Amino acid sequence: MPLQFADLNIGDSLVPYTSSPITRTDLVRYAGASGDFNPLHHDNTFVKTIGMERVIVHGMLIMGIAGQAITSWIDNKNLRKFNVRFANITEPVDFDDWENTKQRATITITGKIRNKFEENGEKRVRCDIVAKDGLGNTKLRGFFIAAAQ
Amino acid sequence: MADKSKLGYEFPPHRLEVEKGKIAEFAMAVSQKDVPEDVNPIYTDEAAAKKAGYPGIIIPPTFPTNVMFRTGGGLMGVVNALGIDLARLLHTEEEYEYCGSVCAGDALTCKMKVVDMYDKVREDDSGKSMEFTVVETEMRNQRGELVIKARSILVER
Repeated sequence: MPLQFADLNIGDSLVPYTSSPITRTDLVRYAGASGDFNPLHHDNTFVKTIGMERVIVHGMLIMGIAGQAITSWIDNKNLRKFNVRFANITEPVDFDDWENTKQRATITITGKIRNKFEENGEKRVRCDIVAKDGLGNTKLRGFFIAAAQ
Repeated sequence: MADKSKLGYEFPPHRLEVEKGKIAEFAMAVSQKDVPEDVNPIYTDEAAAKKAGYPGIIIPPTFPTNVMFRTGGGLMGVVNALGIDLARLLHTEEEYEYCGSVCAGDALTCKMKVVDMYDKVREDDSGKSMEFTVVETEMRNQRGELVIKARSILVER
């Protein structure tokens, strides 16, 4: 359901979008899909050489999940701009310690309407977004601009 | 340390065929689904995409990330060309501007350029600096239309 310009108010929050706990399998799938084969995201022997305990999630997968959130709020064709700044790394869930590690690997995207304006002859909204894990740690902050009907 | 003489460097243009299967795979990855049937059909089914008002199967918002890693010989190619230390590399910011739709079957010509390189002193007391590299990529379709502008900021901490 596309956003209706008249119904949007600055300060309105959008329905939060929550991921599944991100597994190492999700990282491998994203590596193949995106072409980002940085060993930081799949090779435990590499991460040890740089003093880290375990592989970390691609920042771009978190942005991809945020993209899913955005397209749950607006139609893909209405998206005009999407910007994120990465804040903190994310570690995947450990299968052998699921209950204790699932929160750090579960990402919730929230959105808030920041501005309504006209640009290039169309009505647009700017919406701020934040991605946080289940423990409240911020993963990225950003915004998107969408055409509204 | 990134090689500052690379400021202004343009990677050789890269042509990327936007394949239907690749779009489905990407959509599954960002929606954490195992099978294409579980993702939004605008990313997998041409009839559904057309019904939703698109010219064909379209790409998810962050699909253009593919280009950076396939232009310039993959991540390692980019890192090596710019003299970036992989062990210190972090991706700090990413932006896409959508100027037109991109569908399965399109062929994108991608031009990636190093538009800025700068150092910033860390906010901690170490006195060390972080080195930033900003790359911009313009993507045009087979009709020469500018469809996406991407901007990535990489940092060595």
